[in-house]
Amino acid sequence: MRNVFEGRASSWVALLVGAAALLSFPIWSPNPYITSAGVVVLSYAVLSTSWNFVGGFTGYMSLGHAAWFGLGAYGTGLLIARAGVPAFLALGLAGVIVAVLAVPIGIAALRVRGASFVIVSIALVLVLLLVFQSWRDFTGGSEGLVVPRPFPDLSRPEHHVVFFYLFAVLLGLALLAWWTIDRSRFGLGLKAIREDEDKAQSLGVPTFAYKLVAFVVSATFTALGGGLYALWFGDLDPIFQFSILIGSYMVLMALLGGVRHLFGPVLGALVVGVAIEYFKVSYGDTQFHLVATGLLLAVVVLFMPDGVIPAVQGLLARFRPQQSSIREVSAAELKEEVKL
Amino acid sequence: MSAGNLATAGLTKAFGGVRAVDDATVEFHDGKINAVIGPNGSGKTTFFNCVTGMIRPDSGTVTYGGRDVTGRAPHRIAAAGIGRSFQLCRIFPRMTVRENVLAAVRPRGMAGLLRSAHDAGDVERARGWLRRVGIDHLEDVEARNLSYGQQKLLELAGVLMAEPETIMLDEPAGGVNPALIDRIAALVRELNAEGRTFIVVEHNMELVMSLSDHVVVFDRGRPIAEGPPDTVRADPAVLEAYLGV
Repeated sequence: MRNVFEGRASSWVALLVGAAALLSFPIWSPNPYITSAGVVVLSYAVLSTSWNFVGGFTGYMSLGHAAWFGLGAYGTGLLIARAGVPAFLALGLAGVIVAVLAVPIGIAALRVRGASFVIVSIALVLVLLLVFQSWRDFTGGSEGLVVPRPFPDLSRPEHHVVFFYLFAVLLGLALLAWWTIDRSRFGLGLKAIREDEDKAQSLGVPTFAYKLVAFVVSATFTALGGGLYALWFGDLDPIFQFSILIGSYMVLMALLGGVRHLFGPVLGALVVGVAIEYFKVSYGDTQFHLVATGLLLAVVVLFMPDGVIPAVQGLLARFRPQQSSIREVSAAELKEEVKL
Repeated sequence: MSAGNLATAGLTKAFGGVRAVDDATVEFHDGKINAVIGPNGSGKTTFFNCVTGMIRPDSGTVTYGGRDVTGRAPHRIAAAGIGRSFQLCRIFPRMTVRENVLAAVRPRGMAGLLRSAHDAGDVERARGWLRRVGIDHLEDVEARNLSYGQQKLLELAGVLMAEPETIMLDEPAGGVNPALIDRIAALVRELNAEGRTFIVVEHNMELVMSLSDHVVVFDRGRPIAEGPPDTVRADPAVLEAYLGV
């Protein structure tokens, strides 16, 4: 019991230190450029945490989550630019619109599992890319859509700092929602789906409804991340908003950190996001950052299939004095078996 | 309790040209231990899957408690009171033993859904079932680390957690040691004595004959004989199906 309590206390300390380090970033960031890179990394953390509502709980690997990112960004941008809706009201409305859209799309997409679901998710983002590129009159097409800045009086560096904290708030909300589901009966049902969907249903879990709710929550948070990105960046282009690459980053980050862990996607976003931003600066226009990202994914899948957090936990456990190893448990069981 | 609580009429399911279940009309005896036997490929598991909603039958009906439940989704069949195990034992490998059982809790409403999965009342009930099947000392172990026999017991505990009135077991004795077979048989008898109806697909004839009250024999997708174990054992049609033409 004492051990459990100590474990809990130390994880609270780690959480507070991590949050303090994150929130003080704009203060110790050396220049506005680095601060803006911080905003990008934080937006990745929001996106991969949002992705993890579907990927982590249900095990459905969506490679097309950029669809929700793009819809959120364009929804927000278009509401402001075309309908004159105030910026943050537009963001909220875009979230609602995407939540509503995600219901029929989810009903269609969640009928298939495994590789078929991956293909459907990719198809979704490609269809949306074509629609937003072709529908020039409304979306601005490939020339892009300029989103008016919500705080015209702020200087550029101040703008980055404000949006850093806005993304931090959104990340906090997404983490809170994930944590709530993770510990709930609903969450256990979702995990049962991940483990064995048919078995879960035969035990009474209404699997389709559960998957759909997780899907809609995931899409909505991703869309809010996209909307906030639109307000921050101020310039949208279908090729960047509806890109397979962004969707793949969300998956890579979540896998790298560990999809079964609350902070897995955040940690993955820190590692991959910082690496991407660094490679972009170092290698400029070359596509080397893509190669590097691919190598990173290969290393993770080969050596840490459950992600960094479980791998590190496993490593720490090795150095800790062991109270009862798996071996002892199975020896006790063996005795039990002999008795039978 | 009346007879024929769970019954099928003209149930048919074909895969391509093969009629795995072919016009099967069966009435199971309530409150009894029913056995379904038959040679390999005689359609027993497909029949199970049609009854529990895992497969939608091509034609025919399944009724439970007087209601037509044909083609209903598996979770609705489960909610109606029918629990089932699977042929090769299916559990949630990367969840703990306790969580495996808790996954069968049916929450009501928004508040129920968001309540802790480790709700004290639920955990107490889960522990009760784990104790009943004899693996409560393993409740924090990940299910994939259990032996095959323990996994079978775990699956049974999960099924029981959903509080079904009727339990369908697909080869409960398959692949487990004789001592464990005795334990599973004893459990089935106890649970039956508490009022649960059992429908068991099984190849182990010794077990079928000693355990069941009522035996249904399948051959080529349809029941060819039924009755008490002794009667069925002496039936010429059954002998022919088992020993070949």
